[in-house]
Amino acid sequence: MPTDVKVLLIDDDADFRASVRSLLEGEGYSVSEATSGRQGLEQILADRPDAIVLDIMMETLEEGYGVTQAIKIKDEFRDCREVPIVMVSSIQESPDERFPMAGEIDMVRPDRYMTKPIDIPRFLELIESVTRGRKASRV
Amino acid sequence: MNASRPETVVVIDDDRAIRLSCEKILARSGYEVVCFENGALGLEAVADRKPALVLVDLKMPGISGLDVIARVREIDPTAVVIVITGYASVESAVDAMKAGAYDFLPKPFSPDELRLVADRGLERRRLVLEARRGELERELLKRRFVTFVSHQLKSPLVAVHQYLEVLRRLGETEDVQAKREMWLDRCLERTRELTSIIEDWLTFASLEQSSLSRTRETVDVRIPIRKLVEGYEEIAAEQSVSLTTNLPANPCPVNGDPTCLTILFDNLIINAIRYNRPGGSVTVGAECRPGEVVVSVTDTGIGIPESYLSMLFDEFFRVGGRSEGPSGTGLGLPISRRIATEHGGVIDVHSVEGAGSTFTVRLPRHEVDTAPEDTGADTNREKASLS
Repeated sequence: MPTDVKVLLIDDDADFRASVRSLLEGEGYSVSEATSGRQGLEQILADRPDAIVLDIMMETLEEGYGVTQAIKIKDEFRDCREVPIVMVSSIQESPDERFPMAGEIDMVRPDRYMTKPIDIPRFLELIESVTRGRKASRV
Repeated sequence: MNASRPETVVVIDDDRAIRLSCEKILARSGYEVVCFENGALGLEAVADRKPALVLVDLKMPGISGLDVIARVREIDPTAVVIVITGYASVESAVDAMKAGAYDFLPKPFSPDELRLVADRGLERRRLVLEARRGELERELLKRRFVTFVSHQLKSPLVAVHQYLEVLRRLGETEDVQAKREMWLDRCLERTRELTSIIEDWLTFASLEQSSLSRTRETVDVRIPIRKLVEGYEEIAAEQSVSLTTNLPANPCPVNGDPTCLTILFDNLIINAIRYNRPGGSVTVGAECRPGEVVVSVTDTGIGIPESYLSMLFDEFFRVGGRSEGPSGTGLGLPISRRIATEHGGVIDVHSVEGAGSTFTVRLPRHEVDTAPEDTGADTNREKASLS
């Protein structure tokens, strides 16, 4: 059971956040939420999460990529660049096809992209695997 | 022509003399010319070099000129094909044009004739490329639009699906037991949202295809407004919003489609109730002025930030987040604007953030024959315009 592992949910859909939050809390994660890319970036600095679940389409079409971009280039995020990000979107196309923002794609490995509705066992497995190393390194 | 990157011309003709003269004349004009004696070789070069112009002889051994034209069009629809032929009959020209050739050069031709045809072909190519860029832009816009629509449709479905799956998985835990009722309510709410998105979307799609307002009859706008307000009284009361009308005693006739006009007013009234606050009010007014009927829906609601006003009537635009505020489809106002425009009218909004909004629809007044003009204003205006 993961304890003291923090997951940040960045998604504009309150219902999606509510169900995923319960799911993760049921597994022992501590969960915080943000409703937009901008708020998400603030939370990343405030909460220092161990993993981020990031929606792609929020207020704008590619808001999620705005977040990954900011983490990548902005100096204040230099300590957060290794935080694993799981991208989620209801749009089925693969991220590199849908969003031809070449620079961003390397940040989003295909195994960290999930289509909504997310497959729960696979999602939990993924969160577990990406946070496992981080927990160990922190302890 | 761009001197640094000469346009490529492919010449396909079994007559060596023609190939040589084409090469000489066009090279002198600054084109890069490559010549081939049959269709097979020529088509290979077309696929390879993506020429701007292809000059092709109609009558050749092997692949016929007509087939070459068709293949070139397949390989690159923007390439401009010009046909060279020894027998300039109307019939062969028509066949070549049908196959996709742009122009025709009868043998024998002078250097000037060739240059003229080539330059004209290149101008054509420029226009084709320009049109294609426009098409690509439209295609991109369409894709963006489709992405938006699918996202809009899928979001409620995803929310419901995820709730149900988590309920099934964690249904027995205390945490979820406590949330069960609330989550089921949310599921119902989101399915309602999805239904209304689909309904709006279908309305919008039928507006896209043809004008939805098929019928034209005299509609006294007071009648649909009264019906709508009556229908919404309960919902308004539930939200502690007072809903009143301010309608004149005399008819307010417009020439329109009663169903569409009802949809138009419906959108404005439901928005005014939805984006309101407890204790707020909604007033639906109508006014019959010379030449126009003005319907206004005023609320004392949350108002609209100024920066959003210009986007308010855009498809799928919603102020603020999608799921935080009241549910809406983002299509209501675009549909309303469309209907107003189809009726020769305009829709406008005045809003103060935090204080409320007024949506105003101005529709041309229908001058009913039986109703005598009670003021001289219109008659005077008519006279003025006649003189």
